[in-house]
Amino acid sequence: MRSSDWFPWILGVGVGLLAGVFYAWRVNPVSYTQTDPTSLRADFRMDYLALIASAHAGTGDLGRAQARLAVFGAEAIGETLGALAQQRLASGYPEAEARALAGLAAALGERPSGLPLSTTGTPGATPVRPITSTPRPVRTPQATSTRALTPTPGAPFQLTRQQLLCEAEAVPPRLQVQVLDASGRGVPAMEIRIIWDQGSDRFFTGLKPELGAGYADFTLQPGFAYTVELPGSSAMVTGLELETCDAGQGGTFDGSWLLVFSQPAR
Amino acid sequence: MPRFLPRFLLGLALGLAAGLLYGWVIQPVEYVDTAPNTLDAQYRTDYVLMVSETYGAERDLGRAQLRLASLGPEPPLEKVEAAILYAVEHGSSSDDLATLNRLAVDLRALSPPTQARSS
Repeated sequence: MRSSDWFPWILGVGVGLLAGVFYAWRVNPVSYTQTDPTSLRADFRMDYLALIASAHAGTGDLGRAQARLAVFGAEAIGETLGALAQQRLASGYPEAEARALAGLAAALGERPSGLPLSTTGTPGATPVRPITSTPRPVRTPQATSTRALTPTPGAPFQLTRQQLLCEAEAVPPRLQVQVLDASGRGVPAMEIRIIWDQGSDRFFTGLKPELGAGYADFTLQPGFAYTVELPGSSAMVTGLELETCDAGQGGTFDGSWLLVFSQPAR
Repeated sequence: MPRFLPRFLLGLALGLAAGLLYGWVIQPVEYVDTAPNTLDAQYRTDYVLMVSETYGAERDLGRAQLRLASLGPEPPLEKVEAAILYAVEHGSSSDDLATLNRLAVDLRALSPPTQARSS
């Protein structure tokens, strides 16, 4: 085959490719429609997750929230929600939103780890589409969701345990708080206020569901005396300071404090 | 010249086919960093439903409108009405329809009355 025989082929392919690209980019360009929530930009995706949590806080329908989250396919979605709650709280978003995220994270974290996130089955399966003709499950009261919205009714919380923890030398010293209801179950979304000489802060239980629904922690700094309280309760600890622990061979390190607030059984 | 045109056309077809194969199979379009207004109707409807469910608990119409604004420039009421239409067409539960309708009713109360058109 002479080189001139190739010319029409090469010209045809070249023009064809150019025509294809021109069609794809100019005549009929890609239009971003019919996307799903996983394709959302990161900030919109976080807003979407927050909306799922807010809707869950409003309805208490955990199954529906799980179905909505299933599209994201993440196994550690509870931790993501917990981290998002902390981030939003620190960024000045409405407190209700942070509480909703914490409540949903806690509700998901309380489920046995072997359970799939989706009610339909394994990761990667087609997620449940929340708005379908499938009959909606009968809305029954769920302990997880009601606890996420409101503090457990009952007697006021009391400090039942205060202990210096000399276990983990590697981590920065922390104030670890557990808030338990009368039956000994962790209570998520409980606000804890901490005050020191030069400022104050607040944090919530349930933001680290892997450590328990009623768990919260706060990094302590040396040289400060802290007061810790549960708003709306008389439970309060004052003068909490870092204390040293014996690391052996003459060494020391700052220990963490554990405070347990519980409701007395009635 | 008589042999040029068939070869050119065949080459053109091959080029087009290669372009489409590349664009649709080998390197298909990936939708990333999109905004909520590009969501599929199903997810748009569910988004509006979530806003309605949240509104049912918060009763904060301003915040509901703010959330709906993410779905595009159309008036909030239009978005809720579109969601209701979709929900009706797809046989959604009466609970969901009631939830959507409650937000639509409250948004309609905010909207100015429709002007009568004179022709």
